[in-house]
Amino acid sequence: MPNGYRRRSWKLLCCLALIASCAFGQWLNYPTPGIPRLPDGKPNLSAPAPRTADDKPDLSGIWEMKGRPGETSLLGQLPGPAESANIASALPQGLPYQPGAAQLLTARKAEQRVNDPLTRCLPIGPVRLHTFNSPKKIIQTPGLVVILSEYNASYRQIFTDGRPLPLDPNPSWNGYSSGHWEGDVLVVESNGFREGLWLDNTGNPLTDAAQIRERFRRVNFGQLEIDLTVDDPKAYTRPWTVTLKQTLVVDTEMLDYVCLENEKDTQHFAK
Amino acid sequence: MYAWKMKKTRNILPNEIVCILTVLATTASAQWLNYPAPGTPRLPDGKPNLAAPAPKADGKPDLSGVWSVNYRPYNENIAADLKPGEVHPWAVALTKQRQENLGKEDPSSIHCLPFGPRINFATDAHPLKIVQTPALMVILGQDLTYRQIFLDGRDLPADPNPDFMGYSVGHWEGETLVVTTAGYNDRTWLDYLGHPHTESLRTIERFHRENFGHLEISETFDDPKAYARPWTVKVTGDLMPDSDLLEYVCNENEKDSAHLVGKASDVKPIEVSPEVLAKYAGVYSGTTRLGRAIRFDISLSGRELWSSRDGAKQQLTPISNAKFATPGGAQFEFVEENGEIVALQLYNLAGDARLPRVSEGR
Repeated sequence: MPNGYRRRSWKLLCCLALIASCAFGQWLNYPTPGIPRLPDGKPNLSAPAPRTADDKPDLSGIWEMKGRPGETSLLGQLPGPAESANIASALPQGLPYQPGAAQLLTARKAEQRVNDPLTRCLPIGPVRLHTFNSPKKIIQTPGLVVILSEYNASYRQIFTDGRPLPLDPNPSWNGYSSGHWEGDVLVVESNGFREGLWLDNTGNPLTDAAQIRERFRRVNFGQLEIDLTVDDPKAYTRPWTVTLKQTLVVDTEMLDYVCLENEKDTQHFAK
Repeated sequence: MYAWKMKKTRNILPNEIVCILTVLATTASAQWLNYPAPGTPRLPDGKPNLAAPAPKADGKPDLSGVWSVNYRPYNENIAADLKPGEVHPWAVALTKQRQENLGKEDPSSIHCLPFGPRINFATDAHPLKIVQTPALMVILGQDLTYRQIFLDGRDLPADPNPDFMGYSVGHWEGETLVVTTAGYNDRTWLDYLGHPHTESLRTIERFHRENFGHLEISETFDDPKAYARPWTVKVTGDLMPDSDLLEYVCNENEKDSAHLVGKASDVKPIEVSPEVLAKYAGVYSGTTRLGRAIRFDISLSGRELWSSRDGAKQQLTPISNAKFATPGGAQFEFVEENGEIVALQLYNLAGDARLPRVSEGR
């Protein structure tokens, strides 16, 4: 985490991950090929969504979930989508917690994110991949979609070759994802998550009983909407759905952020 | 629903201490998925036809697939084919110092950072999955890291941001994909021994898919600040059909690095006569605790005892008449019964193994 203004106070523990994100200071600016442009040369982001040779919407591109004006990703500290702080920020009634999940959330808040996978430089899982405040890149091929994340230079795979979900998957951080097209919507089902995932910086849980569904819809050239439904009976009394809106980022590239690089924070955490 | 079949595979059991930590973590990923991939040519009995021609995409060979790279001996020693004077003195000294510390500063294997230019030879990241599209190829590692190779005709940046994976561009020369990479940071090692590199490193990889099941990779390392000349390492990749990557997260529950102690020089060698050493020469072969086949060729060279495994040679330092230390900190003991040497006993962190002697030395 190379940056020059790290604070060691345990009070700021909860925002370490966010501070580290500021290290993405440099951006590459290679012009993205194939971008529709306006007469003045600017990208025409309201042009129709591109399509692949097999006539599916092409989700490929670099995407970022940007916060609406005034939104912060945690405790009023840094701009970012409210969903990265609380995945349910747009749900007026909040999440339908099971009693155990509510207790877990309280405990996670009380210990100020000390065991957040993000704090520990561990994988963040597919939901936070969408809300994490840095770009990610979707690569769509006929049988496979790969999403690259700057966080830990990591990736997630979504099989689109027709395979079903495994009955007894190996529990993992990313889970196991299989997608199919319903019209112009890529519907991705995932299971096989390991216990202990966080859905956001607040600590809303995802358990090993979870199955999630994502509906990817490229509204136009510049916008991608993902309807995320979480069905996790161990943590929530009923399935719930939120929409995660992504914006295309053009003429740039991914820059990796390796969380463990020069990591000196965890030794200073107050017990 | 399709019923998944999982099978245990037998992964890795290296004999170097630096590899051992890898193994402890890697055993966690010892299950392999077994989904019959569409588009795989098959023999009449349904098995993948690995000798079928290489597939094509957009008129170019398609390198996509899950590949197991035969990285020995270069994972241990990337400079195995260099002559002594061809590594600059500072790099020799640094490598020696890293060996003296038994590799415990290894940024990737021990401290869970990305493998960088060592990715093709990195045990922990294997197997590698290539996903090729016309303008971009990505290589996914089992350690959840990726690298991108741009195929859209762009040039290397003049002043790239130093990065673990560097910046890669590729073009086709006939059936061979030629990938040039620059912009590596200098934080990674090139192998388990600890050969260093600088930010001046450039690599040129030539990928050629010989047929459906086989990939040839030749990689040239060019780092004039550390090595007197560029050199090229050749390895082959075997397709792992109907399989896929399983996550290996190095820093998940990582408790090893706090326990790494000792130095190579803690081992105090003793004198053992060449006549005694000669008794141990021979071939020892068996399986590891994880069930992986393993074979050591033990030979005498002058007054020194050497072991060789898959072409990776290392000197054995006597610490008793029958017990020897490897440069990486593992121990070998030759087992004698009724006056005959019958087995080689390995002691290392990954678990002990007893390898019966299958033939005598030459």
